[in-house]
Amino acid sequence: MGLLFSRMFSSVFGNKEARILVLGLDNAGKTTILYRLQMGEVVSTIPTIGFNVETVQYNNIKFQVWDLGGQTSIRPYWRCYFPNTQAIIYVVDSSDTDRLVIAKEEFHAILEEEELRGAVVLIFANKQDLPGALDDAAITEALELHKIKNRQWSIFKTSAIKGEGLFEGLDWLSNTLKSGGG
Amino acid sequence: MSGHDSKYFSTTKKGEIPELKEELNSQYKDKRKDAVKKVIAAMTVGKDVSSLFTDVVNCMQTENLELKKLVYLYLINYAKSQPDLAILAVNTFVKDSQDPNPLIRALAVRTMGCIRVDKITEYLCDPLQRCLKDDDPYVRKTAAICVAKLYDINAELVEDRGFLDSLKDLISDNNPMVVANAVAALAEIQENSNRPIFEITSHTLSKLLTALNECTEWGQVFILDALSRYKAADAREAENIVERVTPRLQHANCAVVLSAVKMILQQMELITSTDVVRNLCKKMAPPLVTLLSAEPEIQYVALRNINLIVQRRPTILAHEIKVFFCKYNDPIYVKMEKLEIMIKLASDRNIDQVLLEFKEYATEVDVDFVRKAVRAIGRCAIKLERAAERCISVLLELIKIKVNYVVQEAIIVIKDIFRRYPNTYESIIATLCESLDTLDEPEAKASMIWIIGEYAERIDNADELLESFLESFPEEPAQVQLQLLTATVKLFLKKPTEGPQQMIQVVLNNATVETDNPDLRDRAYIYWRLLSTDPEAAKDVVLAEKPVITDDSNQLEPTLLDELLANIATLSSVYHKPPEAFVTRVKTTIPRTEDDEYAEGSEAGYSESPAHVTDSAAAASPPTSSGNVPYATARQSSPIPAAQTQPTPAAAPVPDLLGDLMGLDNSAIVPVDEPASPAGPPLPVVLPASTGQGLQISAQLTRRDGQIFYNLLFENNTQTPLDGFMIQFNKNTFGLAAAGPLQVPPLQPGSSVRTLLPMVVFQNMSQGPPSSLLQVAVKNSQQPVWYFNDKIQLHVFFTEEGRMERANFLETWRSLPDSNEVSRDFPNAVISSVEATLDQLAASNMFFIAKRKHANQDVFYFSAKLPQGVPFLIELTTVVGNPGVKSAIKTPNPEMAPLFFESIEALLRV
Repeated sequence: MGLLFSRMFSSVFGNKEARILVLGLDNAGKTTILYRLQMGEVVSTIPTIGFNVETVQYNNIKFQVWDLGGQTSIRPYWRCYFPNTQAIIYVVDSSDTDRLVIAKEEFHAILEEEELRGAVVLIFANKQDLPGALDDAAITEALELHKIKNRQWSIFKTSAIKGEGLFEGLDWLSNTLKSGGG
Repeated sequence: MSGHDSKYFSTTKKGEIPELKEELNSQYKDKRKDAVKKVIAAMTVGKDVSSLFTDVVNCMQTENLELKKLVYLYLINYAKSQPDLAILAVNTFVKDSQDPNPLIRALAVRTMGCIRVDKITEYLCDPLQRCLKDDDPYVRKTAAICVAKLYDINAELVEDRGFLDSLKDLISDNNPMVVANAVAALAEIQENSNRPIFEITSHTLSKLLTALNECTEWGQVFILDALSRYKAADAREAENIVERVTPRLQHANCAVVLSAVKMILQQMELITSTDVVRNLCKKMAPPLVTLLSAEPEIQYVALRNINLIVQRRPTILAHEIKVFFCKYNDPIYVKMEKLEIMIKLASDRNIDQVLLEFKEYATEVDVDFVRKAVRAIGRCAIKLERAAERCISVLLELIKIKVNYVVQEAIIVIKDIFRRYPNTYESIIATLCESLDTLDEPEAKASMIWIIGEYAERIDNADELLESFLESFPEEPAQVQLQLLTATVKLFLKKPTEGPQQMIQVVLNNATVETDNPDLRDRAYIYWRLLSTDPEAAKDVVLAEKPVITDDSNQLEPTLLDELLANIATLSSVYHKPPEAFVTRVKTTIPRTEDDEYAEGSEAGYSESPAHVTDSAAAASPPTSSGNVPYATARQSSPIPAAQTQPTPAAAPVPDLLGDLMGLDNSAIVPVDEPASPAGPPLPVVLPASTGQGLQISAQLTRRDGQIFYNLLFENNTQTPLDGFMIQFNKNTFGLAAAGPLQVPPLQPGSSVRTLLPMVVFQNMSQGPPSSLLQVAVKNSQQPVWYFNDKIQLHVFFTEEGRMERANFLETWRSLPDSNEVSRDFPNAVISSVEATLDQLAASNMFFIAKRKHANQDVFYFSAKLPQGVPFLIELTTVVGNPGVKSAIKTPNPEMAPLFFESIEALLRV
């Protein structure tokens, strides 16, 4: 039975790419996460003025991952990428407590978007390797995640540098998408 | 685009854009690529596909080089129309400039240079810096050109980031192509700059000469052009350079040959040894001759250049006159140029051959060519004294053919020959007179009449001949009338008999009373007075010996010739005009700060300041935004013209004159026009678009030529056209009201209009304490009425009559009670440049009276007047250059003081 289902899903998703946006404030670690997922290694990055797009294959699902720049000047253009998006990975710098309020505001602004109504949301509480980083519970509190209605979401503690938590998050994402959450 | 791609041009269905948008976002790569091709196809036929910008840019990160090139092409075309969104492409550029494939790195850096969007230029500096030091020569050479493009966009940035030094380093590159491109880029930058940027030193010279032999033909052109600007230290160096360059004369590419000729001609000026010069001349002849076997268009260019060369060094082609003989099938423009050069090369040795040619040409069918040939014979006669007789006999033969225009042209040149060789060939006059009746062109008629007048004593029936012309005097063209007048006067002076006397009266009458031509009338009056006062003096004047003429027609002035020779193989040498006569370039000058220069001015300013201020106030009429800039213009000593001092926010789209040496063919891309930037400094926004449902209004009261205007800028950001604009002002302290209706044309979506509304004062004055508040209502036919508040700047009311004498100022100051003195401190205001501030206040009709030192502070006094003669005595106390200005005023209306302080604070802040 399980085998049959997974075959069915793989035929549903087999040659279809799931479109995923990686969003978050500047210096949250979005680009590092993208290339950690894609190549499995840490690349040195500079602030992304614009976007990166890569295809990541995981759990029989091809993810088309769009990493958008987080600079204030670029945030207004995130909306250009919203249509047809199945999932959002929202990356938070857990050690940057000063800007958590801004991160929260941007996050809830995204959730308001009509075009993203059906998208599932995965939150990465990133930079757990840094001293003073808040844990997932604190980030949940800070981002007021309990206010999310009618949407599947999950939060993971990650460290892109060490590679921790990323694939757990992706597991959750692929399972959620397979079960029709997207 | 290859042939089978033509299908992409063939769809014209409705909703094309949404369809394309969908395809661009397709998950299939092939579909996306096809969609981008369709977009490019639409773009090239002129459809606006700029709305697909993000969708196309999203296809940019791809492995597929073809797709990438297409997206880049799109970007170059549309980045300007979507300057904000262009930022989305930056990251991809940065990535591509680090791609392992050098082609992609070069492509990225080339495209970046073509995107002229200020917001993203800065981001492109780092990739450019990397590419200038790339391992691959193709990337380096592309980056070199990119620096020149960047210089055109933002010169300051290029200098600050040290790109010029990197470029200079590239001259020592081991790859000749990189050297050539670096030279091209530096030369281009030099042309756009007033400062010396690119100067060849003895070190770079040897690098260039080495690279010259190895790089491509167009690279050679760039290097040769650069070398021709090099001033060799002495004759020996010049000889060495020339020796290294002479092999280029054998090159198959005409541009290389011409550039080499230019370079050699420039260096030859320094070479003293006649042997070497003679040798070089010998070497240059064959390549120049070879150029004449190319297509007619190239021949023409070559001939125009040769025309210049033979003016400076006739010996080069002295023995080659035969190659300039016209072939029957030469296009007319080539024939005309060849004739010109034949005249220049004609000499006693070859004149017989040349005359035969000219005679042949004079019987051809093309009228213009025939005329020019006849004229050429005349010019040869004037040029070569020993050949004059032969020339005249040829001309006489031609006259005998009796072809009308040949005869007329011949008469024109024979007149010149008579002037050149007086009293030599008059025997032919009789022959000429036979053709008298056939003359119908003004110039020919005028020439014939001149001949008759000049030789009246030798022509028996001169009076009869002239008389035949006189009948139609009023109908003749001015040229003929003038000659008739002079000829009749000559005739009269030579044969003062009854006939001529009558004639002269008729002519003088015709030329004074009956004519409207002032030249003719004045000349007639001069003759008349001369004749009536002293006929002998008239004789001395009118029949005076004439200076001998030479053939200097079509000969260029030496300084111009020098300049044109330095520009051989450019458009300038084809037009025979200096480049600045037909190319306008804005040279960039980095503004310099000259604050310390004021020191001497401030000392002198004390005693004689009123006059001093007037001068500078007149020079610096509009108060401009930056402190230094109006100062620089006012000083007049600065070489920067006023137009250039304002940092142009959006330079006009300059065509990419440099072009690229290879790669992307950008020539087909139409430059996208920028929205014209409104003139003058920006106005403060009084009604933001967010409040006005898309209508934005910026406004400010200004004073011009003694009249107050409301300067308004309307911007329509709505989707619909707006029209029927009206304006109303609420009651205010000064009773400001519109002097007439608001003149705003219907405003299309996305457009803006600026208008000056004349204002009157004392119309609807409000009661109560003075206030700077100005409440304005604007309505149009589409939207509700908009209300907004503006601040009245008191200084717009200051009249031009506000200047006071010092004594008058002191007297007024004393006469006002101390209770009328009000003062305020502005801790944040700074007077950094005294002169700039004085100019600025003078522009607002606050006139400088005097200055004194008080402790370490400077105290300035100004006078101003409100309408109805209310004086304002102003005192400003400050330490120049330090924050903190204290302002005190004395006026009969101290209740106006707060308004004044608001206004002065705004002025000092600017």
